[in-house]
Amino acid sequence: MSVGSVPAGYEVKDPGYPTPEENYLTNSRGLLTWVFTLDHKRIGVMYLVGVSLAFLIAGLLALGIRLHLFAPDGWLFNNEFFKWLAPDKAPNDIYNQVFTLHGAIMVFLFIIPSIPAALGNFLVPVMLGAKDVAFPRLNLSSFFLWVAGAVFFVMALLASGLDTGWTFYTPYSTTTDTSVILATSGAFILGFSSIFTGLNFIVTINTMRPPGMTWFRMPLFLWATYSTSIIQVLATPVLGITLLLLIAERTMHIGIFDPEYNGDPVTYQHFFWFYSHPAVYIMILPAFGVISELISVHSHKRIFGYRFIAYSSIAIALLGFLVWGHHMFTAGMGSMTTIIFSALTFTVSVPSAIKVFNWLATMYKGAITMTTPMCYAIAFIFLFTIGGLTGLHLGTLATDMHLHDTYFVVAHFHYVMVGGTLVAFLGAVFHWWPKMFGRMYNELGGQISAVIVFLGFNLTFLPQFVLGSRGMPRRYATYDPEFAGLHAMSTWGALLLGIGLLVALVVLLVSLVKGKKAPANPWGAATLEWACTSPPPFYNFERPPVVGDPYEFGDIQWDAASERYVKIEPKRETVPSEKPAESPAHAGE
Amino acid sequence: MLNMIPAAITLLADQTESKLSLFPKSASTFSSDSDWIFHFITIVALIFFIAIVIALFGFALKYKKAKGQQAESQTDHNTTIELVWSIGPSFLLIVMFYFGAQGFLNHRTIPEGAYDLGVDAYKWGWGINYGKFVIHPELHVVAGEPTKLTMTSKDVIHSLYIPAFRVKKDIVPGRFNYMWFKATEPSEKIATDEELEQLAAKDAETNASWDYDARQFTPDGYSFYDLYCAEYCGTNHSQMQTVVVVHETREDLEAWIKKYSSRPSTESPASYGEKLYQRRGCKSCHSIDGTKLVGPSWKDLAGKSRPLASGESVTADENYLRESILNPKAKIAAGFQPVMPSYKGQLTDDDIYSLIEYIKSLGEAGASGGETTAAEGEGQPAEAAAE
Repeated sequence: MSVGSVPAGYEVKDPGYPTPEENYLTNSRGLLTWVFTLDHKRIGVMYLVGVSLAFLIAGLLALGIRLHLFAPDGWLFNNEFFKWLAPDKAPNDIYNQVFTLHGAIMVFLFIIPSIPAALGNFLVPVMLGAKDVAFPRLNLSSFFLWVAGAVFFVMALLASGLDTGWTFYTPYSTTTDTSVILATSGAFILGFSSIFTGLNFIVTINTMRPPGMTWFRMPLFLWATYSTSIIQVLATPVLGITLLLLIAERTMHIGIFDPEYNGDPVTYQHFFWFYSHPAVYIMILPAFGVISELISVHSHKRIFGYRFIAYSSIAIALLGFLVWGHHMFTAGMGSMTTIIFSALTFTVSVPSAIKVFNWLATMYKGAITMTTPMCYAIAFIFLFTIGGLTGLHLGTLATDMHLHDTYFVVAHFHYVMVGGTLVAFLGAVFHWWPKMFGRMYNELGGQISAVIVFLGFNLTFLPQFVLGSRGMPRRYATYDPEFAGLHAMSTWGALLLGIGLLVALVVLLVSLVKGKKAPANPWGAATLEWACTSPPPFYNFERPPVVGDPYEFGDIQWDAASERYVKIEPKRETVPSEKPAESPAHAGE
Repeated sequence: MLNMIPAAITLLADQTESKLSLFPKSASTFSSDSDWIFHFITIVALIFFIAIVIALFGFALKYKKAKGQQAESQTDHNTTIELVWSIGPSFLLIVMFYFGAQGFLNHRTIPEGAYDLGVDAYKWGWGINYGKFVIHPELHVVAGEPTKLTMTSKDVIHSLYIPAFRVKKDIVPGRFNYMWFKATEPSEKIATDEELEQLAAKDAETNASWDYDARQFTPDGYSFYDLYCAEYCGTNHSQMQTVVVVHETREDLEAWIKKYSSRPSTESPASYGEKLYQRRGCKSCHSIDGTKLVGPSWKDLAGKSRPLASGESVTADENYLRESILNPKAKIAAGFQPVMPSYKGQLTDDDIYSLIEYIKSLGEAGASGGETTAAEGEGQPAEAAAE
């Protein structure tokens, strides 16, 4: 078979749809048409802009952290400028506020809504061949709740900052004089945003799958979104309750968490991690879904072990509820409790490993095109594997006694959250960008950004594993001189990572102005979102798309002449007639 | 058979120990226990990681195709292989879990007759209680003898972490948490008394406190192991550090304790008060140069009229200072939070007297004019544990 031509005996199946004149970006104009839109695609784009801004702010705070840790006694916040900016705050205080807001904004405003809310909103209905989500108004309200939550965080920042760490551990959080109530109210509101989104997706996927799309013919991204939504709906209310109790404790001194009023601070940790551990899977499961799509599409090969991947998403969602105690191995829980939590923690590592093996098996004997999304997907597998394997050191009790609350933990969860979720998010944005905005970006620029992000990330966080195993505690504004070399390496890495992200942003923004027009199916994918035009019209599909196998690439062919992927089908011996009466005998049918 | 794994890995790790080591010096029985498990997991993880990366980049290069080519195969499952790679690695996980839990139970099983010390953690320092009013920020223990720490916090959650011993335990206010360890590597005396005296004199001149990091030995001349707070506790979390000194014999330890048990008859109260200021945690909240920290500075405090948060004012005489040490929340200086813990039962009368004399030596009303801006009031003190 020659490259880029239609094989003998096949012909191009022209869907024959007219290209709509308007798409969802142009069908109505003006700010208000965005603010009051019920279109899931526009809401997805607004989320994308919102979470990107949150990421920018939290990323700059991260650079602040790294620049301060450039020297053992601190560097950045010792600068005269900060004395002028915040005369009543010591450099340590500024550092503590910066790392707190970095964590809180990254977790609540960026990572949790990044893939599910921004990309999920855009993709879930189109992947289902549907016009919108089940509850469009609920969808818009969840976005505005996100905005309200973000406003509370900004208010906290402007009032008196926040210095509790993103975990709000009591009794520190009940006694500090920073804006704990504003920030927890923000997190409480963001919780509702998250619940609404989850609820919407559960109903949408349950009720709006088109005829022919059984559960096991759904794209794996939908499985991952579904699992994520289950966690969002079941776990987030616990966070809401916990934060309300914390606010009540602070204002009314009820005595739930604060020992001064006969409360127990460890109870708070149980409550908090009962949400926040499942939340880790809210952050990583959608990334698994994205990578399953990316690896399969850009290897042009059926996903390997579909059912194992689908089941492992559900297994992770359920097991993720049973392992929260591993955040508290040194807090003084009973020995038996601690050991049971350790055992459960090991079980959750199995489904994650299965996915990595399946992705590799998908690449085996594939036809891999090294596009920007594929580069990010490969970076993801590399980085997530490190993140996952170093979890073993932390789940093992004897070694965790040493590693708990050190930089080893910091490195571990950044490999999972940043090396995992952020890299998958970037891969997803590059993958679906042509669909969302109808423009192709500069492929070389995208690939360069992936390489720089990959190198910068490793340079930032690999040294932190060694820092941790050598005994450097986390959340330290200053440190012993013996750690200086590794900290400096990490800071250089963070700057490189920042450059990589900047390159990615520039490549994407430039494409909006200068990019070539994107075809409907630039990657040769088989899922339904590529069956509509790029960008999709307001109503997504001209006519209901034909549901096929989401990973069947055999009938998708690169057509060199028109420079696009086309769907082909076996040539028919006879042309079906418009008028059956006049038709001759159907030879060969 | 399984027992050979630890021995083999420890041997391997010892062979490769160098400046590149992943760990700080190993100085307790727990270190060797947990380090071999760490190395075991690391080796297993590396084998998997290398295999995955070879497959990842290998496939990416080998199966890289120009646009438009079809994949060689569309195989989409193989139940045998999938079951093998799902269940196979689980056996390794069970080994990790087993040895991890076993090591953990050793941490939790405190031997009978362990040498019992009290630990009081506070924002931001440590008081190790050796009994008889001897409370010192440094942790001194005996090599080869199990030591038990009974720990409590005066304010928020802290966590006691000694990297060289591979131990860590949170210290939660409102309850006792315990930990134990058996140190194996005694500290060395690496500075002579003469050198120490010179350094102490130099520090006294420049008003500096002892710089453990730069000097790498304690004011008594011992080499030491770092002790950190590992649970975030606010402004000076990263300065909440002290050191562990391991004595060769119980006699050595007791001699050291005796040295700190009370004011030597040859020493003036003010000079002894300064030592208490350094040692008992006062300095983490009270400056002696007029800088505003968490609590009021002690410079030019004694004898002055002080505005209180209640709007009244009070003269900082001996009785006020004493009350502020023993019952700090009785009178709160204007501009400060009532966060200081009480030192009742933790300082002898002579200690309190010495501290007051020291405060008076930092400037009394009338003695030194000048700045009248520094707001002050509350108490001063030190910390400690009294179980």
